[in-house]
Amino acid sequence: MNPTICRRIRCTPARVAPALAFISCMGVLSTGCRVEAPERSEAEERARTTGYRGILLPEAGPRPDFVLTDAQGAAFDFRVQTEGDLALLFFGYTYCPDVCPVHMASLAAVKRDLSVDEQRRIQVIFVTADPRRDTPERLREWLANFDPEFVGLRGSEAEVDSIMLGLGLPPAIRDTAAGPDYAVGHASQVIAFPPGDGFRVIYPFGTRQADWKHDLSKLLNR
Amino acid sequence: MSGIQWWCSAQTAAWTWSPRPFFGVWLLVALLAALHWLFRKLAGAPADPLGRSRDRKGGWAWAGGVLALWIALDWPVGALSGYLASAHMLQYLLTALVAPPLLLLGVPVGAWRKLASRPGVVRVIRFATHPLIALAIFQLILFYTHLPSVVDRLMVTPLGSFAIDTLWLVGGLIFWWPVVAPVPARQRFGYPLKMGYLFLSTVLNTMPYAFLTFGELPFYGVYELAPPVGFLAAREDQQVAGLMMKVGGGLILWTAITIQFFLWYGREGEAEGPAPTA
Repeated sequence: MNPTICRRIRCTPARVAPALAFISCMGVLSTGCRVEAPERSEAEERARTTGYRGILLPEAGPRPDFVLTDAQGAAFDFRVQTEGDLALLFFGYTYCPDVCPVHMASLAAVKRDLSVDEQRRIQVIFVTADPRRDTPERLREWLANFDPEFVGLRGSEAEVDSIMLGLGLPPAIRDTAAGPDYAVGHASQVIAFPPGDGFRVIYPFGTRQADWKHDLSKLLNR
Repeated sequence: MSGIQWWCSAQTAAWTWSPRPFFGVWLLVALLAALHWLFRKLAGAPADPLGRSRDRKGGWAWAGGVLALWIALDWPVGALSGYLASAHMLQYLLTALVAPPLLLLGVPVGAWRKLASRPGVVRVIRFATHPLIALAIFQLILFYTHLPSVVDRLMVTPLGSFAIDTLWLVGGLIFWWPVVAPVPARQRFGYPLKMGYLFLSTVLNTMPYAFLTFGELPFYGVYELAPPVGFLAAREDQQVAGLMMKVGGGLILWTAITIQFFLWYGREGEAEGPAPTA
């Protein structure tokens, strides 16, 4: 054999090492392709123990009984009009820069992926904690950015605070002295009332779309 | 917005278009400018006109690399990278694919000569920047720094975000080294192989692209739960990031492949010599 060719194809360690390193790295990468979403210990631990990624309140009694006004100006009886459906109740305000739009966007995104029948059986109820600025028009337009089916409710500040207190939530803090762009401190959890009542599931801020996807069908079909 | 930060990271406060300083980024830019000055000072001016011309062009390339890094890391792109996956991807493209080749092209000729005269260092560089090793290191960094668990843990602190940016820059320098750097000389890694190397990386880029673009849910908690910026929902933002990786990254790599092709074509033309005249 030609000695030049022989030398060229000789497998010296210096030549083999890069190839081996490359193959090993590609092996690691291909294994990594099966890596799941990040560990979400708290929500997943809850799912292992209760079946829900939200926080289960097992004996929470019937859903609250209150009547507020919707964004069209009609009276909305929460207990009557959400009966038999999965109601997802949230208190917030449309000028909220962080928690409220994130919750609404997550719910809208996950709801879109459900079947038409399941979508019909979910009611997202957004009660404004800032009725001064959240006019019916504002409420309607803001919610339509996420899902036109979302229900926006208004009441007086006292009414809304009283409902929140009844649900074990702290009343909203409206820092109106800070000027027209004031912030409203409010509870950041969504409360799920599954059909049939008896229990509630709380979804704090930080609930991911994956968590909603995991829980919504279960809540609907329990 | 929270107080002054030395490096950009994810924030829980709502986004505003008020500029914010990142002193760590400014320091990096100043250090890179000083490094180029030091390279030129140590290497001295080349005696030949070709070397002088190369150094002049190299100065512009270095400036371009520093500018790309500055844009990527400072406000607003750097700050937005804590809110939007798409801004984070733009940061990746600039830091790992645009700045490194420009910085390497900007190293003065004399500095390369000095490096070549140190056999020990060259031996280490030869191994670390062997095309297969370089490609593997870069792909590992690319993969690791796009893992949701890594992004969610690191992007929330300036130090973590700095670690990601540093990995991108170092990974980018290693990746581009065999294509751009003249030291160590690799006789057998000619233009066709360089084109193949770059093409292979466009193929490998497809994996994270598909992961981001076709994911049913947002992968990154840090972006899913970030205060919204603009009209993009979390999943759409992630899809835009995936497309940017494929289209933007592909554009950069294919531009480099095209440049290599024309360099190859030009050299072949020179080797053949001038056409015979009658």
